[in-house]
Amino acid sequence: MKLRKVIAAALAGLMVLSMAGCGDSSDKPDTITIMVPPVTGTYVEDLNGWIEEYKVDHPNIDVQVIATSWDEHTSKLTTMALAGEAPDIAEVSYGAVGTYVEMGVGIDIKKYLSKDRIADYDQNALDYMTLEDTLYGFPLYITIQALGGNREMLEAAGADVQKIQTQGWTYDEFLEVIKNGTKDGRWGFVFANSGATTADFVSIFGVAAGISSNFTPDLKYVYTSENMLSLLQAVETMTTSGYMPDYSVEAGQRLVMLETGETMLTGKAMPLFESNVKKNIAGKADGSAVEGTIDMEYVFLPVPTMANATESVYGVVDGMIALKNNNTTEAHLKNVCEFLDFLCSGERAAAVDNAVYLSAVCESGRKAQESFTLDQSDLNAAAVERAVSKVIAPPAGITAEMNANAKTMMDETIVPKFQALLAGEATAQEVYDAICTAAKNLFGEENCASGWVK
Amino acid sequence: MASGLYSQHLNNRKLYYIRQVILVAFLVLFAVVSLFPIVYMIAWSFGPAIESASTSYSIFPKVWTLDSYKAFIDYNQYSLRWLLNSLVVAVFTVIGNVIFAGLAGYAFAKINFRGRNVLFFMVLVAMMIPYQVTQVPLYILIVKQFKMTNTFAALILPSICTSYNIFLSKQFFSSIPTALIESAKIEGCGQFKTYWLIVLPLSKTILAVMAINTFLSSWNNFFWPFLVTSVDKMFTIQVGLKTFKFANGTLLSPMMAGACISAIPMFILFFSLQKYFLEGVTVGAVKG
Amino acid sequence: MKKEGKKPKIKQKFNKGENISGWLFIAVAMFIFAIFTLYPVISAVITSFQKYKPFGSEWVAGRNYLDAVTSSLFWKSIKNTILYTAAVVPLSLLLSFAISVMILPFRKKTQSVFKALYYLPGIASGVASAVVWLWLYDASPSGIFNRILGVFGMSSQNWLSSSKTAMLSLILMALLSSHGSNIIIYMAALHGIDNTYFEAAEMDGATFMQKIFYIVFPLCKPTTLFLLVTGIIGSFQVFMNAYMMTGGGPDNNTTMVGLLIFNNAFTYGKYGLACAQAIMLAIVIAGLTMLQFKVMGDDVEY
Repeated sequence: MKLRKVIAAALAGLMVLSMAGCGDSSDKPDTITIMVPPVTGTYVEDLNGWIEEYKVDHPNIDVQVIATSWDEHTSKLTTMALAGEAPDIAEVSYGAVGTYVEMGVGIDIKKYLSKDRIADYDQNALDYMTLEDTLYGFPLYITIQALGGNREMLEAAGADVQKIQTQGWTYDEFLEVIKNGTKDGRWGFVFANSGATTADFVSIFGVAAGISSNFTPDLKYVYTSENMLSLLQAVETMTTSGYMPDYSVEAGQRLVMLETGETMLTGKAMPLFESNVKKNIAGKADGSAVEGTIDMEYVFLPVPTMANATESVYGVVDGMIALKNNNTTEAHLKNVCEFLDFLCSGERAAAVDNAVYLSAVCESGRKAQESFTLDQSDLNAAAVERAVSKVIAPPAGITAEMNANAKTMMDETIVPKFQALLAGEATAQEVYDAICTAAKNLFGEENCASGWVK
Repeated sequence: MASGLYSQHLNNRKLYYIRQVILVAFLVLFAVVSLFPIVYMIAWSFGPAIESASTSYSIFPKVWTLDSYKAFIDYNQYSLRWLLNSLVVAVFTVIGNVIFAGLAGYAFAKINFRGRNVLFFMVLVAMMIPYQVTQVPLYILIVKQFKMTNTFAALILPSICTSYNIFLSKQFFSSIPTALIESAKIEGCGQFKTYWLIVLPLSKTILAVMAINTFLSSWNNFFWPFLVTSVDKMFTIQVGLKTFKFANGTLLSPMMAGACISAIPMFILFFSLQKYFLEGVTVGAVKG
Repeated sequence: MKKEGKKPKIKQKFNKGENISGWLFIAVAMFIFAIFTLYPVISAVITSFQKYKPFGSEWVAGRNYLDAVTSSLFWKSIKNTILYTAAVVPLSLLLSFAISVMILPFRKKTQSVFKALYYLPGIASGVASAVVWLWLYDASPSGIFNRILGVFGMSSQNWLSSSKTAMLSLILMALLSSHGSNIIIYMAALHGIDNTYFEAAEMDGATFMQKIFYIVFPLCKPTTLFLLVTGIIGSFQVFMNAYMMTGGGPDNNTTMVGLLIFNNAFTYGKYGLACAQAIMLAIVIAGLTMLQFKVMGDDVEY
């Protein structure tokens, strides 16, 4: 401690540069720091506008925005949190909430907000931001991730697109369609699976086997169940069938392949792709379209469901959480939580959700969205609405530690083993056995699911 | 100079030319292979300024335009300032390293003082701890204790005299004959005068090498500047370039254009230091 | 001709003048070193014995170390890292040395051009070059490398996603993009060799290879030692390539220790564990470095 003081004193003398900005602190506005990646293309600009708007009613509040990039948002946030210098509010995906709670920097936001404010948000979306009955932040949207396809090709391959969009489909139907859809120079199905994107494949296709969360309702780790084995076997069938590329596909390639007719179906796909596809086709006129673009109608489709599994859709919730730092006082926290609520509701939520072609997850956001029409086909709109209703929130009672362990399992065991399966270097059974061994070590055998989970 | 390594084949010019041609052929071949990614980068920096990804992977874009350079400059009001920030940081880092690491390296190599070996060992060991785990305490120090967020001091200070450069200069100063230094001392030079008048003139090469490598690593450093800057005005070019990447795609050509623009100062520095690289430590000449 | 080794060894005797000037020379460097390098390192060592939390860490003694050594992934990553280092460092040094020697007989202008050409790949920013390399390694038949293979009638490779080629791909990438600064450091050393050595050797009728082995090698030893030590340190800590190119897969075949440490520290917030793994890695590197100093013998006189 003493060394540090000496050093600090010496440096203070040396570095006149850094000494600016030490004003007097009386009657200073309460400064809230918020750290966000580019959630939408214009998010940081929008945010500055909302802050000005907010300040009109709250003259004692000042907000400082830290803009980050998607790739490094987490590492910067974690560094800051570890240093005890976390921003007051940060954007996080629900899967990362546990990391910060485990670190002891999460904040129970219910303590600082009225019941009716919290009631504005949909319960299933709030569940994603909840750990052990404590709410740590507010959701911005539920992104539904499933499949997207070329309507004409799908129908030529014998798929009843409208029926699939409104009623879902079975795994057998899906296999039949991608088999018929595979022709010379065109794949039936392409899923981006290279490098870290493999995790998406596991999560998104997991719902086909009825796996919608890392844990079963009775809080057992789900990837050791027979459902996982079926999933792995299904993937094995798909990759060896020749309806899918036998090489890995970059994330950026999948949409291009759909746009140029090199594949009939692709994943992961989001409702937003409809806009990308339309923009690209329009770009043929001025040469900004991808080379070889074909005219097509984009359809958003659910992931097929296997026999015995309950249909669901993979949803990811991104939202904002409040974090503890060195300057945290009760009064400050109240201001933080109120501002957090402001950002995640009403027109602010609507603006974000419109940009990503999704429906808001709070009442006030949906109301604000009413005046806005998306450039979306009715069928896709219906399919998206149905998909959102099929999203199953993670069960209540998951602890931060379980959450963190599940993340470790995914990154260190499931994804690497899955990659080996995709590369044809391991069989489904081998992958399954490896996952079971690792999971039993980490969670203990009694906390791992066995048999078929409904 | 070390040209004596090769025989001049004075009696057989033909053999001499054949040898030179073979060497050039090999060098060019290897250069082509290792330059491939760079050619790709430069070519695509002239591509259209759209979120492009082509399935055809052509090496050259179909249409050549300067749009991406324009897009890079227009992308953020501080785009050019990022370059300037990087330049300021790199220049001060280089100056600090050349002076301080040079002095320290010389002392470790040629001055026989108490504690030398222990200290040098510590410098070496410190290099072995992966930077991933030292970033957090360093961040605590700079941000929490010194309150230096968004200052040049925060960007420059941690790398103003690196272990790597101390080690580098120590290794080079070791190869200067001690006799040379001893004789300077006999003629009445103090340690500093010896360093300034005798050693430095012999060490332009190594200091130039140190300068360019330090400049390069400072210029390409991403993680630390990313941690300690929070307003776009203070971003360095690498931090700024990262903002070209969005969730569902990359503005490829503008990013490549940015990378090309950011490589230009490196180029200038490289060529302006060229002559020092070739001078060599001409110890013999001094002795004579 | 003066030979360094012939001089009598200076005894470990210190005189006051040397002490004072020595300390003056290193004062600023050591001050900066103490604050910005040593303090974080010591702090990391302390943290490795804690379950670190920003507000109230718990002392857990050797728990983090135990967790690290009992994890099979940790050992696998050490194995991968050693494999990577064993391939990249010596090959890269050999390549840089050979190229430097090959550049030597040319005129200054030609030398400059070649050095610039080889230095260029290092100038490209990491982010942009990772994007380019991902393209080169694209696994579809239209990927650049696969098309090159196609020209020679070979079948497409699943470069980054097959356990047969993933590590090889990372090694190739490192070899082709990291030799620039090695070459200019070697060039600097080569230029420093006094011509009289060669003249004397020439008179004795030494061949080219003899000159390389008996003059160039020994005189470049401090340089080689430096490049070897820093190369190994850098290579053992590498993680960006695995992080950006493969995510560690397939089947953790490209998971480097550096990647594990990075993930533990910055993704999972298990900072104590990350520190413990980092310290263990440092011990491995320190052992190897000591070995190199022993074998290479830092025998250039002090």
